[in-house]
Amino acid sequence: MLKMTDVKKVFRTDLVETHALRDFNLHVGEGDFVAVTGPSGSGKTTFLNIAGLLETFNGGTYELDGQDVSNLNDKKRSQLRNEKIGFIFQSFNLIPDLNLFDNVDVPLRYRGFNSAERKKRIESSLEMVGLAQRMKHLPSQLSGGQQQRVAIARALAGEPRFLLADEPTGNLDTQMANSVMDLLKSINAAGTTIIMVTHDGQLASQARRNIYVRDGKVSEVNDTDAATAPHLAAV
Amino acid sequence: MSNTQTSPAINWEIGPIFRAMLRNKVGAILIALQIAVTMTIIVNSVYIIVERNKEMQRNSGIDNENSFFLTSIGFAENFNVPVTVAEDMNTLRALPGIVDAIQINAVPNSGSGWSMGLKTQSGAEYDAVGTAVYMVDEHGINALDLEIIAGENFAPTDIGLRVVGQVDWPNKTILTKAMAENLFPDIPYQSVVGKTVYINDIDPMIVVGIIDKLQAPWVGWNNLENAMLSPERMDFKGSRYFIRTEPGQRDRVMKQVEELLANSNKGRLIKGMRSVEEARERSYRGHTAMIKILTTVMIILTIVTALGIVGLASFSVNQRKKQIGTRRALGASQSAIVRYFMLENFLISSIGVILGAVLTVGLNIILVNTFGLDRIDWFYIPIGMLVLWLVGQGAVFGPARKAANIPPALATRTV
Repeated sequence: MLKMTDVKKVFRTDLVETHALRDFNLHVGEGDFVAVTGPSGSGKTTFLNIAGLLETFNGGTYELDGQDVSNLNDKKRSQLRNEKIGFIFQSFNLIPDLNLFDNVDVPLRYRGFNSAERKKRIESSLEMVGLAQRMKHLPSQLSGGQQQRVAIARALAGEPRFLLADEPTGNLDTQMANSVMDLLKSINAAGTTIIMVTHDGQLASQARRNIYVRDGKVSEVNDTDAATAPHLAAV
Repeated sequence: MSNTQTSPAINWEIGPIFRAMLRNKVGAILIALQIAVTMTIIVNSVYIIVERNKEMQRNSGIDNENSFFLTSIGFAENFNVPVTVAEDMNTLRALPGIVDAIQINAVPNSGSGWSMGLKTQSGAEYDAVGTAVYMVDEHGINALDLEIIAGENFAPTDIGLRVVGQVDWPNKTILTKAMAENLFPDIPYQSVVGKTVYINDIDPMIVVGIIDKLQAPWVGWNNLENAMLSPERMDFKGSRYFIRTEPGQRDRVMKQVEELLANSNKGRLIKGMRSVEEARERSYRGHTAMIKILTTVMIILTIVTALGIVGLASFSVNQRKKQIGTRRALGASQSAIVRYFMLENFLISSIGVILGAVLTVGLNIILVNTFGLDRIDWFYIPIGMLVLWLVGQGAVFGPARKAANIPPALATRTV
């Protein structure tokens, strides 16, 4: 479903060449919940950006849902991102001038749904995260946990195959972090594949599978749920 | 959830953009106001410029390109004006390159001349119609390049001699068509021939001819098209001569005439030799200056407005980098980001131009009431709106492209 083979990413300036990913290999199957951990600067976020088609890469191959995405133009990449991937960011990345309804609406408009379909999806996804009653509120009127729930609703409204989460609980206190984590687990249980980058080992342990990244490479794989999901183990 | 996807879709975000603008409105309002003021000034300025240009293009009725005039001032004690004028006219009319020449009291569009009032009934109690007076002999029609469209020219025997201080008038006149229609609005101009009009309240003049067009000396005068010819030569020390040349001969003839007249009689001065074109240009100098000033103001205002839009859009892009990166991450293509900023500017500009349309009409009403300008033609307003829309779209395009180049990966960075 998501397959990276020998993926390389090099950042170059006039003076410095930084190898963010070196021969990065990973295979994530449908319905998986993968936590990606590693020290700062190990390449976690670069991996997430490439996986989410936010950045291009310099070598290797990457197949998303069976499609080679190496040479897609901006329009195709944007379309693929919009249709197949939902993003959850550490700092929520809600648009402050838009109310919750309009925030969740953003990716749906890019998808080209009609207004009735968008409305149905927005209400349904906000309902799922328990914020349907507050859809006319602005993000600034919500707590951090609630804002992240809105971001999750936004990510799910388009029914993506993948959910990519970048430190989704990084800006939340423990109680809120657990609540968000419970929500992610229930989303995964419903069939959505999740890849989560985190520093938090305790959160990572709640995923089905742990990937440890060091120096731009996958250095360790730990399947916490390998018995029930044997197809997830291959790297 | 169903998977209903309709049109592949241009993502018009009018509603969210408008709602977001309402929550963050100071910059948008300032730009909209700037656009409104710019449109108000530009549209009214363009209208004034077009009107002034039209005035400058008006047909004076005479052959502007090939005519010139000069003043002959006698200073010698024995200087005989009628004799000198007669000799000069004979000389000038015989000179190769000259079509005709006359003594005249004033030159159309030159800025100085005579005016009188004509009436259709004798008596001080009746209203007069103002008219410019041109004193000419029977060569006047040919020298001024006029066309008699009804009646006839003066006969040589009609021509009198006006002396300084004389108050009575000849008993014949030729009127412009406009003057004839002003005096006798209820009859065709052809029927005005043979009618009697009154000058100086009570002095009768019979209209012997109608000419198609001849403007007054004063380009800003309301009665510019009203003119009459009076069959007279003048016994004045200062005599103005009007000379029409063959096409392309004017400049050569001007030099020749100046020399010829100066040498033919040492008891006078030749001065003020000027082409009709130059005289018209001097008369319309105010118009020209106003056009230049208004054009400069329009250009500066347009640039300032465009820079304002560029500034606000650039500021907005810088402030919303993270948001733009997020939109890109959520599926916005580069063209969708460009479209977002163009649409946002279009909405701001729309508010500005609608307000501008109202202000334009308001300013025009003030100009009409204060300076007597004509009411603005309606089509200037939609054209002005379109221009300001285009200025806005052109100005925002650069910052919008800059926004589109913000990478989606910015969404995962801490900015």
